[in-house]
Amino acid sequence: MCVGLPARVVKVKDGTALVDASGAKREVSAALIDELDPGDYVMVHAGVAIAKITADDEEETDALLEDLL
Amino acid sequence: MSKTVTLAHGAGGKQTAELIDQVFKAHFANPQFTSDDAAVLNIGSEKLAFTTDGFIVSPYEFPGGNVGKLSICGTVNDLACMGAKPLYMTCAFVIEEGFPMDKLEEIAAAMEKTAKEAGVCIVAGDTKVAGKGQVDGVFITTTGIGQIMDGVQTSGKLAKPGDAIIVTGDVGRHGCTILLARDEYGIDADVDSDCAPLWGTVESMFSVTKDIHVVRDATRGGVGTVLYEIAEQSNVGIRLNAEDVPVDGAVKGVCGMLGLEPLYLACEGRLVIIAPKEEANGIVEELRKGKYSANAAIIGEITEDMPGRVVMTTEIGAETLLPQPGGELLPRIC
Amino acid sequence: MEEKKKITAREIIENYDGPKLRIMEVCGTHTHEIFRLGIRNILPENIELISGPGCPVCVTPVGFIDEAIMLALEHDCTIMTFGDLVRVPGTEMSLAGARAKGARIQPVYTPTDAYEYAKEHPDEQVVFLAVGFETTTPSACMAVQMAKKDGLTNFSILTANKTMTNAYRALKGSADAYLYPGHVNAITGAKSCEQLADEGIYGVICGFTAKEILTALAVTIVKLQEGKPFFKNCYPRVVTQEGSISGQKMIEETMEPCDSEWRGLGIIPESGLQLREEYAAYDARKKFALPKVEGKPNPACRCGDVLQGKCKPSDCKVFGTGCTPQHPVGACMVSNEGTCAAWYAYNR
Repeated sequence: MCVGLPARVVKVKDGTALVDASGAKREVSAALIDELDPGDYVMVHAGVAIAKITADDEEETDALLEDLL
Repeated sequence: MSKTVTLAHGAGGKQTAELIDQVFKAHFANPQFTSDDAAVLNIGSEKLAFTTDGFIVSPYEFPGGNVGKLSICGTVNDLACMGAKPLYMTCAFVIEEGFPMDKLEEIAAAMEKTAKEAGVCIVAGDTKVAGKGQVDGVFITTTGIGQIMDGVQTSGKLAKPGDAIIVTGDVGRHGCTILLARDEYGIDADVDSDCAPLWGTVESMFSVTKDIHVVRDATRGGVGTVLYEIAEQSNVGIRLNAEDVPVDGAVKGVCGMLGLEPLYLACEGRLVIIAPKEEANGIVEELRKGKYSANAAIIGEITEDMPGRVVMTTEIGAETLLPQPGGELLPRIC
Repeated sequence: MEEKKKITAREIIENYDGPKLRIMEVCGTHTHEIFRLGIRNILPENIELISGPGCPVCVTPVGFIDEAIMLALEHDCTIMTFGDLVRVPGTEMSLAGARAKGARIQPVYTPTDAYEYAKEHPDEQVVFLAVGFETTTPSACMAVQMAKKDGLTNFSILTANKTMTNAYRALKGSADAYLYPGHVNAITGAKSCEQLADEGIYGVICGFTAKEILTALAVTIVKLQEGKPFFKNCYPRVVTQEGSISGQKMIEETMEPCDSEWRGLGIIPESGLQLREEYAAYDARKKFALPKVEGKPNPACRCGDVLQGKCKPSDCKVFGTGCTPQHPVGACMVSNEGTCAAWYAYNR
């Protein structure tokens, strides 16, 4: 479940963040993430930023495969 | 079929087809009754295209147009799809009591401007006013007649294996614009409707070749629905290359947030064209010179196998079926 | 220097020729993406992907829809909901059917939008249909907390929130390994699945891009071949060991565990969440004193077996005939990501 969307944080104010997903902008709750700054990437689900994204999927999967073999 | 009419019956997909087949076709069927965008009528020595369309968009104005512009484009484009030069139109208004007069004037002005661009005259009309709440703002129905170009024959039944599939621009803009204009989901994006009269586009395309098999206006239901209709009517398979389908970045973002598929969002200024492969590059080159088709692209081909199906080659190079068009567009969140 | 040739996730998957493996993708969005990307079509025959019960729309019981319709038609409430719940069949009708009878049914992007709507429309009783797993539940809790802070008296939620961990336990044996839903673990942390490995339930946390899904599958295949207990976080760019402490706290403060009915699976103990006593005023069931509703699912429907991987959608008698995306009988046909709907769309 859970359509999640990576989005860039544009602005943070009073527990909400304005996020931008390739041009689609929306205010979402930033209440679940302690330190959030403009420029950070977050995973957004149902109007809430649920986690910070710390790398792209290429780096992540390369490391996993290397680890595996 | 369900006992009452639901919104899904108006969404342009399977249920709409079911409603037309089981209710309207059952009563209206005759040799000229068409499943294309317009009926083709032979009157004397003239070959004419004839069509009608109702417009009930909410909100009635949106970035890139209003219901007036839409009501001309929709009918002009249905005629153009048959290779017909639009000649005359009529329009009928149902207006809600209390509707602002200046807005009505803006709508009429947009209609005249668009009609002029399309080279069509509005020659008759009808006006009704309904009590507050009986209609939402203003509903417009337009009817148009056009003259089919010599040597041109298009129909959803004429797609042939080996043909190329072209779209005249990025998909899903109008549907996305309306979704944003309703402001039900609090999303902002810089997207405007693709709503445009396309006779000029069609005319330029036929200047390259008359050998074009299908021209369809992808409106409600989007490009995906049109492709399934063609696959069924021509009894052919369709192979799409997912990465070749042009989609605007912001439309992609909105669709990502709401879990929607751009191929199923409405367009109001996009054609799906099916023509022999050897003509396709020439057509696309010509289309890209036009102001409403600068992003035209070949997105796939017609196949003999998998009749009635639309198969997509995905971003990982595997194959999958495009989901069948279904009912009301609802955002998928969980 | 000799360079070692890099093997890709896809090669690991396509070249697998060991004993038959059954892997369950738990999450509805995984099911959707796997079909959309055509991943099933590149699997060798001896790998079977089973679509599990991770779509909240699919596991929402018939009685929940009946309750929502009762609120809309008998109590004149405005129902706000995630979009794809609108078409889920109840005993007599879906919410779309209720809307055709005049009910106010409005899809929203987030529960907090429903709270905002309630604030702006004090003369309407607004009920949000709270479905979803740990990923979605914090947003519903947030809306309730905001409503309580403002003292709103016209906002409540109808809860069917669920938690995954006990569902994995209930499904133990349905598959050799799970692809865990990455966004649930974004809240609950990798630790919640680590515990499961000790109980003999294996799997990897899986992200949502093509690369991530293929890699998670490849890791699962290699680990299963090794034959040892395993768990791996294959989505570390989003999922941390501890997860979202604030998210867990938000749920904990607002809701408490309860037994919960899963459509097709029956009642799984301690697999649901309901509002705590101090939020009773925002619990639509209590606020409108709803009677106990026993929904009656269509007896021919095999959604439960499908969700447990006991049968394929095409083994169900009504699949594709009585039950289609246009006229769904079971919930798995409703959402595009429902197992049966995805099967119908891509695989028929």
